[in-house]
Amino acid sequence: MNLPSFILKNALRNKRRALLSVLSVAMSLFLLVTLQVALRELTNPINDEGSSLRIIVRNKVSLAQPLPARQLQTLDRIPGIVAVTPFSFYGGLYKGDEKFTSFAQFAIDPQRALPLISDAKGVTKEQLDAWSADRTSCILGKMTADRYGLKVGDRMQFTGQIYPCDLELKIAGIYYGTADDRNLMFHQKYLDELLGNPGTVGTWWLLAASIAEAPLVTDRINKTFANTSAEVRAESERAFVLGFVSMWANIKTLIGGISIVVVFALILVTVSTMSMAIRERFRELAILKAIGFKRRELFVLILAESFGLAMFGALIGAGGAWVLFNNINIQKMTSGMFLMFEVTPQMLGLAFAVAALLGLLSAVLPMINVARISVVQGLKTLD
Amino acid sequence: MALPLNYSLRNALVRWRSTIATVLGIALVVFVFVLLQSLAAGIEKSSSNTGDPRNIMVVRKGSTAESASLISRQTLTEIRYFEEIARNENGEPIISADVLVLASLPRRDGSGEANVLLRGVTARGLELRPQVKISEGRWFEAGKREIVVSAKLAKRFANFDIGQSFKTGSATFTVVGWLEGGGSAFDSECWLDADECLSTFERDMYSSFLIQPSDEGAGEKLIARIEADRRFKLKAEKEVEYYRKQTMTAAPIKWLGGFLAVMMSVGAVFAAMNTMYAAVGARTREIGTLRVLGFRRRSVVAALLLEGGLLALVGGVLGCAIAFYWNGYTTATMGMETFSEIVFEFRVTPKLVVEGLVFAFIVGLIGTLFPAIRAARLPVILALKSI
Repeated sequence: MNLPSFILKNALRNKRRALLSVLSVAMSLFLLVTLQVALRELTNPINDEGSSLRIIVRNKVSLAQPLPARQLQTLDRIPGIVAVTPFSFYGGLYKGDEKFTSFAQFAIDPQRALPLISDAKGVTKEQLDAWSADRTSCILGKMTADRYGLKVGDRMQFTGQIYPCDLELKIAGIYYGTADDRNLMFHQKYLDELLGNPGTVGTWWLLAASIAEAPLVTDRINKTFANTSAEVRAESERAFVLGFVSMWANIKTLIGGISIVVVFALILVTVSTMSMAIRERFRELAILKAIGFKRRELFVLILAESFGLAMFGALIGAGGAWVLFNNINIQKMTSGMFLMFEVTPQMLGLAFAVAALLGLLSAVLPMINVARISVVQGLKTLD
Repeated sequence: MALPLNYSLRNALVRWRSTIATVLGIALVVFVFVLLQSLAAGIEKSSSNTGDPRNIMVVRKGSTAESASLISRQTLTEIRYFEEIARNENGEPIISADVLVLASLPRRDGSGEANVLLRGVTARGLELRPQVKISEGRWFEAGKREIVVSAKLAKRFANFDIGQSFKTGSATFTVVGWLEGGGSAFDSECWLDADECLSTFERDMYSSFLIQPSDEGAGEKLIARIEADRRFKLKAEKEVEYYRKQTMTAAPIKWLGGFLAVMMSVGAVFAAMNTMYAAVGARTREIGTLRVLGFRRRSVVAALLLEGGLLALVGGVLGCAIAFYWNGYTTATMGMETFSEIVFEFRVTPKLVVEGLVFAFIVGLIGTLFPAIRAARLPVILALKSI
C-alpha cells in the first residue's frame, strides 16, 4: 500500500460521512456561486463597446419627467453625434392581464434609430422597410417573441400604465443578437398621435461617433441645455444603468452581506464535521506516530484527505453551478428577470479558494491537538 | 420508559465543539431567513399603515401607482360637485387633487442620486391625511417655494436640513419643515403646494384625487359612479385598499429569503446528519447498554431526536435574537411601484419568530432522524461488543 491509496482508503472508509461532507461543501459553494452570479447580474450592467458609445439624455429633474420634442433640432446640430432618436419608455402591460411590465416597449423613430440598433440581427431589409412605413407596427426581441409564441404578422395589445393610452401593434420583424433581446420598438409618431401630439418625448437616445468622442458629446449636450426650461442629464448607457443600480440603495449591500453570512455559516458547520472525522482517529494517529511517522508526514496525510474532500465538493458545487447555469434557460425560468446568469472564472476561482481554505482549516484544527498530545495519551483516547 | 431529558442534554454538551458549530450554523440559517422576511414585513407594514379607511383614492385606470397616473383639470371640475362628496363648514367639497413628481436628488453621503417622490398637495390634502404631522419646523406656505420633507428622507438626502435649499425643475425650494408619517408610506415623500408643483414641473395634469365621501354608503356609490363613467377612465377605490396593494417591492425579497432558507437548510441538514451519525457511532456501546437495561427502541430514537431538535431550537432562538437586533432599524430601497426611494423598518414580527423556530426545529429533526433510526436498529449484542 502506498501513500495515496492509504489516504484514499482513509477518506472513504466511512462512505456515508465522506458523501455528506462532500455534499455539504458542494451545497455551500453552489450557493456561493449562485449568489455571486445573481449579484453580478443585478449590479453590473452589460459592458460592451456599444454601451459606452450609446448615450441617453433624460430630464434633469428625473427620468419620469418628459423632454420637449423641440430639443431634437438643437441635438442635430451638436457635433460628434452619428444618430439621435426619441426614446420613450411606454411601460405597458401586455394583453392587460399581467401584473407588472415584463419587457420594455420603447417608442422611437425607426429611420433615425437604425444606426443605434445595427447589432440587431434577424430582421430583413423588407421587414425594416415595412416597419418604417407602417406606424402601427413594431419590431420585437426574440426572447419575448419566444416566450409568448409570437411570430411576424401577429398583433399585440398593451394597456398603458404611464401614458394614458392603450396600444395595438403589429409585429413587423423579430430581432436577436443585441445586449437585451426582450425589448419592443415602435413608432414615437404613433404614440404622439394617440396622445394628441403633446410635443414631448421620454428621453433621447443617441450614438456618439467614437468612444473618445462620447464623453465630450455628453458634456456638450449638458452644457447646451443648461439654464433652459428643460435642463438635461446626458450619460452613457452604461452610466445610466449604473444609476439605476445605485437606486437599489441599502438592499444591495444587505444582500451582499447576507451572502457572506450564508457562506460563513455553511463553512463553519462543514469545518466542524470534517475535523470531527479526524478527531475520532486520534488513536490511530498515535499508532502511526508510535511506528515512526513524523508529525509532518501525519499532517500531510490528514491535510490531503480533508483537502481532497473539500476540492471534490467544490468540483460538484461550483462546477455543478457552472454546468447548470450554462445549460438551463435562465430567461425562461425567471420570466426574463435574469438574462445571462453567467458564471465567471473569478467566481469559480473564489469557490475553489474557499474550498482550499475549508480543507486547510478542517485539517489544521485537529492537527494542533495531534501534535500536542503524546503517543501514550493518544493511544488511551477512546474515540 | 422514556430516557430522561438530562441524557439528551448532557450528550450534546459532551461534544461541545460540534455542538457549538451546529448551533451557530443553524442560528445563521434562521437569522438570514428572519432578517429577509422582516424586511418584506417592514415594506408591507408601511403600506398597510397608510391611509384613512373612509377616504377614496382615484387614479387613472391602468396605472398601478399614483405617481404614474395623469388626470386632467377638466375631470376635477366634473367630479368636484358630485353629491356623494362631503363638504366642509365653508361648503367646499373635501377633495384633494394631488400632483406627484419624481425628482432625482443627490444623496447625503455623495453616493449618487436617487428618485424622491414629491407630492404637490392642497389644504384639503393635509386635512385628509391626519396621519402626517410636522415633527420639526412648520408647514410650507403657498407661493413661497417652500417644501416640507420627510424626516426619514432627510437623513438620506443632501440639502434636506431645515433652512437648506435645493434646485429641481425650474425652481429652488427651501426646506421649512420635516414631516413624520408615523411609519406610513408618507414617510417616503416630500410635500409642497400643488399649484406650485404644477408650474415648476410644467405639468398640466393632476396625478390623483383623494376624496372624503359624506358617509359609508356614499363612498360605495361614489366608487361605483366613477368606475362606471366611461368618460373618465378612472379607477376609484378605498385609500387603504390602494396602499395595501403597493407591496410589489416585498415580493422578490420574500422569494430570496425563502430560497436562501431552503438552500442553506439543505446544507445544514447534511452537516447535522454527519454530526449525529458520528455521535451515534461513538455511543454504539452505550446505546447497546441502554437497550439491555430495557429502554425501548422508540425511547432511544426519541432521546436522540430530542437531542437534535433541542440543539436546533437553541440555534433558532439565537438566530432570531441576532435578527431582532435589527428590529426597527430604518433602511431604504427603490420602490417598484413609485420608482422612488422608499423608507421602511425591519419588522421582526412574532409570526416570523415562530416561523424561524419551527423551521430550525424541523432542520434539527430531519438531521437527526436517520442517525437515530440507525441507532435503534443496532443489534444489541453487536452494539455491546463494539469498542
